[in-house]
Amino acid sequence: MSKVKNPLRKRIPRELKGDFGKYLVIFIFMVGMIGIVSGFLVANQSISNAYDESFQKYNMEDGNFELASKADSKLIDTLEKEDVKIYDNFYVEEETKEVDSTLRIFANRTDIDRACVMEGRLAENKDEIAIDRMYAENNNIKVGDMLTVGNKKLNVVGLIALSDYKALFSNTTDMMFDAVKFGVATVTDQCFDSFGDTHLHYNYSWQYDNPPKDDNKAKDMGDDFLEVLAKNAIVKNYIPEYTNQAIIFVGDDMTGDNAMITVFLYIVIVIIAFVFAITSSNSILKESTIIGTLRASGYSKGELVRHYMTAPLIVMLVAAIIGNILGYTFFKDYMAQMYYGSYSLPTFETCWNAEAFVKTTIVPLLIMFFINLFVLSRKLSISPLKFIRRDLSRRKKKKAIRLNTKIGIMSRFRFRIIFQNIPNYITIFIGILFANFILLFGLMFGPLLDNYQNEITSNLICENQYILKAPQKTDTKGAEKYCVTSLDTTAEGHKIEGVTVYGVKNDSKYVDINIKSSDKDEPSVFVSNAYAEKHGLNKGDVITLKEEYGNKKYKFTVQGVYYYPSTLAVFMKQSDFNETFDQDSDYFNGYFSDQKIKDIDDDYIATVITQDDLTKTSRQLKVSMGSNMTIFLVFGIAMFILIIYLLSKIIIEKNSQSISMTKILGYRNGEINRLYVTATTIVVVLSILLTIPIADWTIGSLCVYIFSDYSGWLPYYVPWYTYIEMFVLGVVSYAVVAFMQMCRVKRIPMTDALKNNE
Amino acid sequence: MFLEIKGIKKAYGQGESRAEVLKGIDIEIQKGEICVLLGPSGSGKSTLLNIIGGIDNADDGYISINGEKIADMNEKQLTLYRRKHLGYVFQMYNLIPNLNIKENVEVGAYLSDNPLDVDELLNTLGLYEHRHKLPNQLSGGQQQRTAIGRAIVKNPDILLCDEPTGALDYKTSKEILKLIEDVNHKYGNTVLMVTHNGAIESMADRVVKMRDGMVRKNFVNPTKISAMDLEW
Repeated sequence: MSKVKNPLRKRIPRELKGDFGKYLVIFIFMVGMIGIVSGFLVANQSISNAYDESFQKYNMEDGNFELASKADSKLIDTLEKEDVKIYDNFYVEEETKEVDSTLRIFANRTDIDRACVMEGRLAENKDEIAIDRMYAENNNIKVGDMLTVGNKKLNVVGLIALSDYKALFSNTTDMMFDAVKFGVATVTDQCFDSFGDTHLHYNYSWQYDNPPKDDNKAKDMGDDFLEVLAKNAIVKNYIPEYTNQAIIFVGDDMTGDNAMITVFLYIVIVIIAFVFAITSSNSILKESTIIGTLRASGYSKGELVRHYMTAPLIVMLVAAIIGNILGYTFFKDYMAQMYYGSYSLPTFETCWNAEAFVKTTIVPLLIMFFINLFVLSRKLSISPLKFIRRDLSRRKKKKAIRLNTKIGIMSRFRFRIIFQNIPNYITIFIGILFANFILLFGLMFGPLLDNYQNEITSNLICENQYILKAPQKTDTKGAEKYCVTSLDTTAEGHKIEGVTVYGVKNDSKYVDINIKSSDKDEPSVFVSNAYAEKHGLNKGDVITLKEEYGNKKYKFTVQGVYYYPSTLAVFMKQSDFNETFDQDSDYFNGYFSDQKIKDIDDDYIATVITQDDLTKTSRQLKVSMGSNMTIFLVFGIAMFILIIYLLSKIIIEKNSQSISMTKILGYRNGEINRLYVTATTIVVVLSILLTIPIADWTIGSLCVYIFSDYSGWLPYYVPWYTYIEMFVLGVVSYAVVAFMQMCRVKRIPMTDALKNNE
Repeated sequence: MFLEIKGIKKAYGQGESRAEVLKGIDIEIQKGEICVLLGPSGSGKSTLLNIIGGIDNADDGYISINGEKIADMNEKQLTLYRRKHLGYVFQMYNLIPNLNIKENVEVGAYLSDNPLDVDELLNTLGLYEHRHKLPNQLSGGQQQRTAIGRAIVKNPDILLCDEPTGALDYKTSKEILKLIEDVNHKYGNTVLMVTHNGAIESMADRVVKMRDGMVRKNFVNPTKISAMDLEW
């Protein structure tokens, strides 16, 4: 007779069918999870490729700088001797009428930083404009609409992505880009010239003849170039490509996202693998006499381990395949939309992503394989005789934990159930912890950003901070002179970022600081609370700042912290300011004013900082993250229900004979629920309560770490009601599961107690 | 000698709670014999059967089958030994609930390089018409027949039966004993059967009576009768 195929294999489809509910929920969850991650990684990689290719495809600059006046040919020649090619990249900034925003307008670019046309076409006539796609979307502007820019009415003929404005940073030192109130656009040369030079910025881009190989080299080359530039011209702005947030922010963000979502997937897989392992362990307990008989008949441990591993691995494999298919089709576009909903990226083509396949299919299968192998090998390593006797404990003598007999029998019974199911409850705890991470992440961003916005708006210095190109007089009531400049941080362990240095009058109406005496070499200053919190500064500390485009360093002694959450700032006496920065004693270059200043010509105003400017971070983050937070919420709740459902189901199934026996004894369903379901309820409620502070602490630390990479300071803030929301969501989710388990308890027949394993 | 059991000792527990279950057992069994191990509860007969079956180990002494000592075997070799030489039948049938009757028998056949024909065996067992049913659709006797089928389908050298009729009524018990006898005649397996039912000794070739972990009597049955003629 030919060799019989292993008939245990026939059990697999029956096992899957027999426990269809359990496998289905795990399957759907895994398909969703793998689909989302696969879609994300594919979109991420494809967009990354498009991003990388864009440097060459659109002939990206190696940096740009702005001069106070137009460069003459002599200056260009001098600069080009440094092995660079200089391109004009002038722009004007104009307000728009239909929407409250500022547009940075360039002439059509043919040589450097070319545009990718996403819809329509570039401007070809004097009255046409092509605007950034992201800005258009956020402001609901479509091709064919008319847009009033300055005092020109222009027809929107195209939506574009400019290669040097992938993230719409109006200023590269901003904490966050602003694709709502700031946009870029291109027009014909003729149209561009007609804007005049009132708002004209003499911006130039450069490209090295021999491009640097890495950021270190780029820094060296950039520093050398800046030295020559600063020697020959008045530099207003200087941004080498490797520091240009508008270009590199997307790349950095995508790399970070990639790592985060992969770790997220693996944690979920590990939890699911443990759920499977516990499920299999429960099957082993249920089938112990059969396993004993099979082992006694000559089945090897390996054959049984393989048998019990097959169903979870099949579910995982099929989920991975379908998840990947969905990832490449449905989820990819959805995930790409997340990036295209924040950034002005050029078009991309979907690329086969081997890394995504390994991460979403091979690695999860391996995790599932090894965790199950480990748990099952351990479980099946006891002797066949012990299986036949249903004695699966590893320890020789298992002594029951003594419980005080003063405790009522129902409570003791409940304690015994908890002790018996400790592995399940540990997995429930870990599952709830992870679900609470996700929930907190989903719930906190709205309040965090609202709080940030409120803090900023209620702690403004004034409604309008004017920065002047040269001192000008005003008769505006309440306007107060001040001095301002910008320096860079030098603190180790923090990225270099800009600090606004204010010089304010002694008895200022707008900034209430009181500096009595001050050292000439290390003037006393107040630092904004944003600066103090981010850098851990205290009274008496000495901070060192340096010139943005030079090497001169300045030291300041911190005299106190001034509550100003908007930005990293230093406040000092105006007299100290002028002395420190070698200005005349009556020098000023700005006004604080709650009223709009109308009697200074626009030509003399460098910029006006309003509430809108200060709140753009929270505004943009809300736009970028809003819909994503819903995904986290849904996913957190799904995870919560899945874990509790599966594990509490196991507990009930494991105890079905005892439940049946208690029914025979005369216990009512309500009483049985109080024993078996309440035990789980206690653990779940305790787990929720314990995991909320753990999740809070972990997310808090994570946020501080992540936010420290942004310019400026976004404080971690979770209002009390968010914790209540988390608790209520957890309890309500559990109530659904508990109800299902009560129905399960009700369905257990009394004959179960009298049944053999057959 | 086909099966040699020499000086087998076994104790459980330590110190004051130490209990000697087997105190030195010597038995020799010829190939093809039906050997009934008889004794009251706690006499050590099931422990001895488990040691012969390689699912428990002796503290002292050895078991040898065709000259191969099982005490020298590691876990893998023991599994192979059970796979090649042994068939097990327990008081509880321990069938796999989501496999049908034929598939349950195939579970045994899979272990052998030279199994019996499953359909023919099912006919012999009187289960052919029930082959597509699940275990819980059959009576206790039919389930025990299936368990015997699973044990003998791989044509083992030794069939170990631990109280195979313990959970069955008189009539069904006799049918099962008859089946074991038929299998022994037809396939020539050596049968070791543990029971506390004294009436069953009459169908044995050899009777080993045990009490308190020792062999009290070991003799060849001079008046062997058919299982169907047993009365109790």
